[in-house]
Amino acid sequence: MILAMFRVMALALWRDRGALVMTFLLPPLVFLIFSAVFAGTTGEDIRLKLAIADDAHTPASRRLVDALLADPDLRAERTDPDTGERVRALVKAGRADAGIIVRADPSASDSPIVVVSDPSRAVAAPLTMARVQQAMARALPDVLLDRTLVETAPAVGGFTSRQMAVVAAAKARLAKDGAGAARPGLFEREDITGAKKGGGTIAYYAGAVSILFALFSAMTGALSLIDERRSGIADRILAGTRGMGPVVTGKFLFLTAQGVVQATMIFITAQLVYGVPVLQHIGPWLVTTVLASVCAAGLALGIVAFCRTRDQAQMLSTFIILILAAIGGSMVPRFLMPPWLQTVGWATPHAWTIEAYQSILWRDAELMAVYPAWAVLAATGLAGLMLAQKATRLIR
Amino acid sequence: MTDRPILNVWGAEHQYGDRKVLRGVDLTVHPGEIYALLGPNGAGKSTLVGAICGRFKLTGGEVALDGQDPFVTASARARLGLVPQEIALYGHMTVRENLEVFGRLSGVMRCDLAPAVASAMQLTRTADREHVPVRHLSGGYRRRVNIAAAILHRPQLLILDEPTVGVDIDAREALDTVIRNLRDTGVAVLIVTHDLDQAGALADRVGFLREGRKVLEGVPRRLIEQAFGQEMEILVQMHLEPDMDGESILAAEGLERRKGNLWARLDLDGYNAAAQLDRRLRGLGLIPREIRVRAPSLQNLFSLVADWSRAA
Repeated sequence: MILAMFRVMALALWRDRGALVMTFLLPPLVFLIFSAVFAGTTGEDIRLKLAIADDAHTPASRRLVDALLADPDLRAERTDPDTGERVRALVKAGRADAGIIVRADPSASDSPIVVVSDPSRAVAAPLTMARVQQAMARALPDVLLDRTLVETAPAVGGFTSRQMAVVAAAKARLAKDGAGAARPGLFEREDITGAKKGGGTIAYYAGAVSILFALFSAMTGALSLIDERRSGIADRILAGTRGMGPVVTGKFLFLTAQGVVQATMIFITAQLVYGVPVLQHIGPWLVTTVLASVCAAGLALGIVAFCRTRDQAQMLSTFIILILAAIGGSMVPRFLMPPWLQTVGWATPHAWTIEAYQSILWRDAELMAVYPAWAVLAATGLAGLMLAQKATRLIR
Repeated sequence: MTDRPILNVWGAEHQYGDRKVLRGVDLTVHPGEIYALLGPNGAGKSTLVGAICGRFKLTGGEVALDGQDPFVTASARARLGLVPQEIALYGHMTVRENLEVFGRLSGVMRCDLAPAVASAMQLTRTADREHVPVRHLSGGYRRRVNIAAAILHRPQLLILDEPTVGVDIDAREALDTVIRNLRDTGVAVLIVTHDLDQAGALADRVGFLREGRKVLEGVPRRLIEQAFGQEMEILVQMHLEPDMDGESILAAEGLERRKGNLWARLDLDGYNAAAQLDRRLRGLGLIPREIRVRAPSLQNLFSLVADWSRAA
């Protein structure tokens, strides 16, 4: 009896080519788009577009502007006309991510450089400041030394004329030979073992998109419960000996299987395109995938079983899918959310699914670390299934 | 038809909140009998069928299917098949696939499925479309498959809820044949319908429900004879829609509007009365397009019952 309902659901999907494409091809496509978008937000590939104006017109300011224009990590352009107003206009119009106005000689003590930024691109300002600092260190070390002397002189009680002469010689040497020379900086960067550029984000979005679509497809499939009530099929079945129990269980098994196939398509894409190590973690991955699908199927049936009409179920399911996806991190990475929202996110299956996949595929975590996520997903799915069974018994 | 009924309902009472929908209904249906349950909307037909199907417990009275309460005993429900008013089938699946699914859902063992499907298709004359998706079938065929899906587990009582909604005359005759065939195999058939013509043509017995009570029950022909004796029904189809004066004249002749421009009355002297009526109407400038005389039908009985109820 359960398999009979599984067959009904499978044939309904198989014979609706549009639904088939939406169910199995759209998720990998959306995953590719999301991962392409969000893999770039790690900062590795950001090349700021800067508008630069030199209002100071000193030798040092010219050297700074030239250094910024030559920086391969920036897309810097000198404005025409070469004025601060033009820089502000370009940033305001969104034609530059940020702007730099060199309003005084860089050695001047009173903030000689203005960074113009749009609050909607807040991250651009600190990145620009960091790039200018790097350019100063690389191209104008003598000017930096000058600024350091100005700042430290009061603290050490001033410099003697002999010391000043030594400093002047050092400045001249730096100005002549030091520009562009590589010097060890304050920081050395170390990536975590085995880390691949963007890999964490890719694993994150493979999980995020798979649970998003598992729930979306499960909701669509669960709507057949309402169709069966409306078409009299439920009446026919309820007049029989077994009631709706096998029908709900058959749907649950099908929706779970559908979720597993859907996630498989997404993670095959993730492995082929981005090298996400799915095959290397096939066991834990499969358990996570099955339990995420169980969760989506149970949740969808539980929600739809309590709706009276298709319209009501569609509206409610759309609302729930969007809210859970937004809070649970399927749309925007959770680490970008405020702390309270990250805490609320743990109330969604999305957060647990993403956590489980990231633990397995990115952090190489011990299974112990994944058990809580597995427990939450299984419990949610089974609770939804029990609710659906209860609700369909009520319509008896 | 055998003496021992397959369905017994004693003093069925049910209420939703303060509203009483069934007020002590008794009902029996025997194997090999077609029983038509008639009544206007809100008479309590659907509630009674729901109780017979074991969907809920009556607030009063009892239901027994082959001696067992269908609300309590699943094996009692195994003895009935329900044909809902809607086409309760999966449109994307073929006739055979639907029957296989509903066979399994109604408890037919996998090994018995193929003969059960073949038998149901033969009884309902649907075998020639077994590989056609249901959504591609005509209305009449769908109705027959709708019945086939309810008889796979060989029920002893088949309940048909409005089986002729939306089907044409040819399809209805085909459906009637299917229902008679089922009756001839010994199945008890309970038809819930508004279609009085079908009830009159098919039913061995009819029962009229009104406001939760069974107000009349019996063999249709006998009930009509008892109610109307030798009276005949005169049907007058007017050529043009009569104005207010014309309507007054028709009313004065004892004619009541049936539907559209069709008027009717009962008369003991059927054919002579019709001829006289035709002359009088023409003399008054009202030209009938057609005048027919026929024996009263369940429709007349239904109207009579409604009048009795209103008077009561």
